[in-house]
Amino acid sequence: MKEFNNTAFFVCLYLITNYLRMLELLRQYVSGYVGLTNEEFAFLGEALVIRSFDKRQQLLQAGEVENYLNFLVKGLARMYFYRDKTEVITNIAREGQFISASASFLSGAPSSYFVETLEPTTCLSITRQQLEKLYRESSRIERLGRLMTTDFVLQKEAWELECMRLDTKERFLHFVESNPELMQRVPQKYLASYLNMKPETFSRLKHLLRRRPSPVHPKMKDW
Amino acid sequence: MTRTRSSYKAALEALHQYLSGFVPLTKNEFNQLLPFVEIREFEKKVQVIREGEVERYINIIAWGLARKYLPLRNKEITIQLASEGHIIHSELSFHHRTPSGAVVETIEPTVFFSVTYESLQQLYDLSPKVERLGRLMISDLFIKKDDRYFDQLKKSTRERFLDYIRTHRQMLQRVPQKYIASYLNIKPETFSRLKHLLRKKA
Repeated sequence: MKEFNNTAFFVCLYLITNYLRMLELLRQYVSGYVGLTNEEFAFLGEALVIRSFDKRQQLLQAGEVENYLNFLVKGLARMYFYRDKTEVITNIAREGQFISASASFLSGAPSSYFVETLEPTTCLSITRQQLEKLYRESSRIERLGRLMTTDFVLQKEAWELECMRLDTKERFLHFVESNPELMQRVPQKYLASYLNMKPETFSRLKHLLRRRPSPVHPKMKDW
Repeated sequence: MTRTRSSYKAALEALHQYLSGFVPLTKNEFNQLLPFVEIREFEKKVQVIREGEVERYINIIAWGLARKYLPLRNKEITIQLASEGHIIHSELSFHHRTPSGAVVETIEPTVFFSVTYESLQQLYDLSPKVERLGRLMISDLFIKKDDRYFDQLKKSTRERFLDYIRTHRQMLQRVPQKYIASYLNIKPETFSRLKHLLRKKA
């Protein structure tokens, strides 16, 4: 019995520590936009749910309405749609990033995209209803929402301009240099689709990497 | 530009209505915003923001027509075509305070309702209602951007052409064809050819 209690104690301690680390990761992200007080952040924290998924599990299917905004604390997920029978990937997100069918989340209209995990994944999620409640009660959190949405728009714009400005080879090199660890974690055909190039082209371009000094891997968050 | 005071009045009323579509504003609340708004007039074919300049303004078109494009080595890619009631500016430059890679140029004589970066921050501090207005407007922009991005990836050339013409009939009269073709990522020759489809559908 005593042994059981010990185990239960450590399991609880592990879960709490883990939960605090998740919140800390979110807090870091949020503080890039708005400095929330402890009370304001606790208010936000209470509205969140933790959702865990196996790998290759769908968070959302095209045609459904996206009800969640998901902040990844662990794992990897992708967003895609079908052009005829081909999957076209429009987003790949890892720890510390958001993944959701945001247009559907914001408009309440059915999503054009699927969202699916690539690894076992844990997210801190908030429903549209909960988020709107927070907005009504705190204009600081509403400001956070405005600034984050602005950033989503700007990221979209930057990506669009980059695709116009860079040719296939430049796009490949730029992506690999800014996301070295995704090369190990994401199947190549997905990366190729995300970069809007044929898988064969992607394989061929990998030769360019051998001739270059290997990129420095940033330390991954250890969960 | 032969516009009278009544045209401005009408344009301001249209602006009030447009904003109230996001957050209902009383006449009084709307009037409180006006000291932060500049009215800027441009002739046609004027570069409102040039490559390398830092964008100072966010603009809503009172009347007229403008385009945003990316100048590349040997061509221009049109990214946006905007008419009355649309927002147009170099947003990456505006928000990040960095030199603009894009150019905004008028196509017709155009009048903007413009707000500077500094004024916009002051507006947001004015009241929670403005904060909400800003959030909803930027959300709307995200949804529109996502739609366009999705269409570019998913739809065929023919579908892109027909859908655009169906929803923007008047633009075909007002905008040089090469700009629309560039915006839809269609070769000018292909665009001309696709126009035959319209005659058959009349």
